[in-house]
Amino acid sequence: MTLHSRAASRADLLHGTLDMLILRTLQWGPQHGYAIGQAIRAQSSEVLQVEAGSLYPALQRLSRKGWVVSRWGVTAANQRAKFYRITPEGKRQLLREETRWDELVAAIARVMKPAAAPKE
Amino acid sequence: MRGFHWLKRRRLDEEDFQEEIRSHLAIATDERVADGADRAAARDASIKDFGNITLTTEAARSVWRPRWLDALRDGLNDARFAIRVLGKSPAFSLTVIAVLALGIGLNTAVFTLLKSLALSPLAGVEGSARLGVVLTETRAGRRGGLSYPDYQYIRDHDRAFRGLTGSALAFVNVGLGSRAERAVGELVTGNYFQQLGIRAQIGRTLLPSDDVAPGQHPVVVLGDALWRRRFAADPGIVGRTVHLNAAPMTVVGVADAAFHGTMVSFDTGVYVPLMMAPQVGLSVPAAGPDILDDKDATFLMVLGRLRPGQTLASAGAQMSLLSNQLKRDAAVRAVERDVRVLPIWQSPYGAQTYMLPAVVVMGAMGVLLLVIVCANVAGLVLVRGVSRRGELAMRLALGASSGRVLRLLLVENLVLAVPGAAVGLALVWFGLPLLFSTTSAVAAPGQIFFNLALDRYVIAFSVLAACASALAFGFVPAWRGARIDLLAVINDGLSRRTGARGRARAALVVAQVAVSTLLLVGSGLVARSLDAARAADAGFDATNVVSVALDLKPGGYDEPRGRALFHGLLESILAEPGVESATLAASQPMTLVDFGAQRVWIEGYEARPEEDLIFLSNTVGPAYFTTLKIRLITGREFGTRDDRDTEQVAMVNETMARRFWGDPARAIGQRLRHASGGWRTVVGVAADLKYSRINEEPRPYVYVPFLQSYRPVMMVHARGPAGISALLERVQARVRELDAGLPIQYARSLRDQISSSLTILEIAARMLFVLGVAGMALAALGIYGLIAFSVSQSTHEIGVRMALGAQKLSIIRGFVVRGLRLGVCGSVLGLAAAVAVTRMLGSVLYGVSATDPGSFARALGVVLGAVLIATIIPVWRGARTNPLAALRQP
Repeated sequence: MTLHSRAASRADLLHGTLDMLILRTLQWGPQHGYAIGQAIRAQSSEVLQVEAGSLYPALQRLSRKGWVVSRWGVTAANQRAKFYRITPEGKRQLLREETRWDELVAAIARVMKPAAAPKE
Repeated sequence: MRGFHWLKRRRLDEEDFQEEIRSHLAIATDERVADGADRAAARDASIKDFGNITLTTEAARSVWRPRWLDALRDGLNDARFAIRVLGKSPAFSLTVIAVLALGIGLNTAVFTLLKSLALSPLAGVEGSARLGVVLTETRAGRRGGLSYPDYQYIRDHDRAFRGLTGSALAFVNVGLGSRAERAVGELVTGNYFQQLGIRAQIGRTLLPSDDVAPGQHPVVVLGDALWRRRFAADPGIVGRTVHLNAAPMTVVGVADAAFHGTMVSFDTGVYVPLMMAPQVGLSVPAAGPDILDDKDATFLMVLGRLRPGQTLASAGAQMSLLSNQLKRDAAVRAVERDVRVLPIWQSPYGAQTYMLPAVVVMGAMGVLLLVIVCANVAGLVLVRGVSRRGELAMRLALGASSGRVLRLLLVENLVLAVPGAAVGLALVWFGLPLLFSTTSAVAAPGQIFFNLALDRYVIAFSVLAACASALAFGFVPAWRGARIDLLAVINDGLSRRTGARGRARAALVVAQVAVSTLLLVGSGLVARSLDAARAADAGFDATNVVSVALDLKPGGYDEPRGRALFHGLLESILAEPGVESATLAASQPMTLVDFGAQRVWIEGYEARPEEDLIFLSNTVGPAYFTTLKIRLITGREFGTRDDRDTEQVAMVNETMARRFWGDPARAIGQRLRHASGGWRTVVGVAADLKYSRINEEPRPYVYVPFLQSYRPVMMVHARGPAGISALLERVQARVRELDAGLPIQYARSLRDQISSSLTILEIAARMLFVLGVAGMALAALGIYGLIAFSVSQSTHEIGVRMALGAQKLSIIRGFVVRGLRLGVCGSVLGLAAAVAVTRMLGSVLYGVSATDPGSFARALGVVLGAVLIATIIPVWRGARTNPLAALRQP
């Protein structure tokens, strides 16, 4: 049981991070799945490679939670594609995720580099 | 926002999703082409880059599914797969299912008995196991109820219970004349139904306003069974008049169908206000005519629910304070009693006290049987595990996690165990009522009820037993299965034997043999007890004796007319051909329950502090001892001249004579007082009988003559060479001749009465016998399986040895020695355990020591014999194999 719940929370953490990245990418405007993947890749200087196998289920998850809405449209290259757009509720979620992320990073930083961390 | 879909879906839009993937691939391909790639190559690369489309779709689908549904689907898939796999080896599956059904079924049956006595003893009463019983205890430890005045005092002053209600068991004649039917009645206080939370299905229940003034409330509530049996479930019953012991009573309602009264094992037919007891003339054992005022008439069973925060212990502490208050008026009490609180399963009323020990023993044996079953099935699963090593290794090699394989194996085990639970429930549903109805038809038709319903306790137990055994028999093999060493399996082929596995199986066989030895010793001891009890000398001779019980109250007889009737009846019966002697008695021996315990005073004897001087007694007619062939030690028995006009006399038994006067001869001429009567002179000493149960200790007993203490409810005993059925017929014909309207409560042979008092022992012996034989058969099956398996694994070796010239006999001897070694190990362990454990059986054993060498030797012989047969058959078959064929096998 413990094993299962540990695995589940690990999955939640990963999902949460990917969701945050997608929402962040959508802040600049509606985008289709392929472009979202490319954007994350480019923004992270090719470090974060979001696989389609994770990206599309994540988009479904965000749709289900009402954080994004979707519409079929046409790309600049005149290809049909499904565009995702962040909702107001999605924006609030992004803010929450960012705060959480900042806290996490700061905490990890304090542990990893105690000397560099500002004294309280 | 226009055109964007606010998704209100419940599941993945499959077509849309595939379209999205296609669009993804198209865009990716276009980009690659724009970078200068060949279109076909670009498309291939995009598809490759995308990864597994099916998995992605599945992942997207699962986003829309609730998590529990996923888990359920996985479980169902595993179950479906398990059923398919098990269906491929039907012999294995059916064997396991049958063995498990036997184990779980028997345990569920025993558990249901336990439930009917302790967990949910009162059907229809919510949480009846938590009811507390308030009772009294004399200094000698004799338990009894409360008198009505004491009940009132305690009810009004107690703070531990939410309320206290009282009831008393009484047998009544429902109806008038010869149409009267004997039914179980309860005299109840007015708050009885309210306190227990019982509603009426028709009309109303009894209320506190029905229990105010003595004799002023001629109302009755009927029990469901009596209403259906006698009144054909007449919906218009309310308002009708019913005669109870000839007193007219108005029916005000019918109790809830689920409710059967508060006396465990009795099916109460009528509920009468306690205030009506004297008017209805209900004969409560051990109570005089003024039972509502008599502080020594401790006939009332008092029970109630505890207030929140109270425990039986805290309630008991408060009761001892109240008890001290009651002792202040000790002057008007014949016996000093302390008030105690007990859980209902320890209540001295009902069947709990004499059935629970036997049922607990059955439960222990049932658990042992389940252990054998699990060991057996574990052995089968282990053997099968060997042949499935290839399959499991393949699964692990293909990437299944060992947790996943473990789950699959455990689900397989559950699939095997669940039918066991179903069979167990079916057994309880069909089997137990059958067992009980056949016994109750003999003992008391329409008066016996046990809460054997298939309720949540029973269902929960059977499911739990199934799951626990699935885990028990499945865990070891499954754990081993998931730990398969891939390389070893792949390198060595699929038939490699490992020493550890062999040891595990051997240990299982030893355990099975040990437990079945234990079971056999137990059931052997109980069987010998039953034989001893049947053959036991109860102190009287029941052959050719009939008992016909008469109640003159409904006929409206007063004492002179009653005396005349009994006198005339005895005369006419004695005049019949084939009748040697006839007499009267208030109660017959071996009734399971102690009837007629009375306070006795001995002239010149002061009771010691731990003595209560309450003894069983009987009111008997002339020639009682002759009729029942009870040995007279000294003095004389009652005669026709021991009448109202002559000296008051009594008889005692040998134990009583020795206790108070040292010697039977010295007892003659001594004086004693019995109940409310005057001083009586002892005129005879009779040999001891078994008064209630065959396994009781000798105890003092007092006889008073019927002619000097008249009772309207008596039993006619007649003895003669005419034969039981002729005697029964003639006695009943003479009764009808004298008064055609007189109800005959029952007519039966005395031997039937004795055998019904052995019923409990007989049920216990029968169930223990079944458990013992089932356990032994299972152990034999386990040994057979083990030896057969090791022989089949050794066909190659046997072939080589026989090809090299080994004698068939020496090969057989090798295997037989191995089997016997396991058998001896197991049975020695079992015998050792039996020596330690059979003392627990003490309460159900009779006439045989708990370490009876005969029973032990017999169990040992049977077990070793079974081991030998279970070993020889497979070895014999193995040794007949053609050496050449065996050699050619891989």
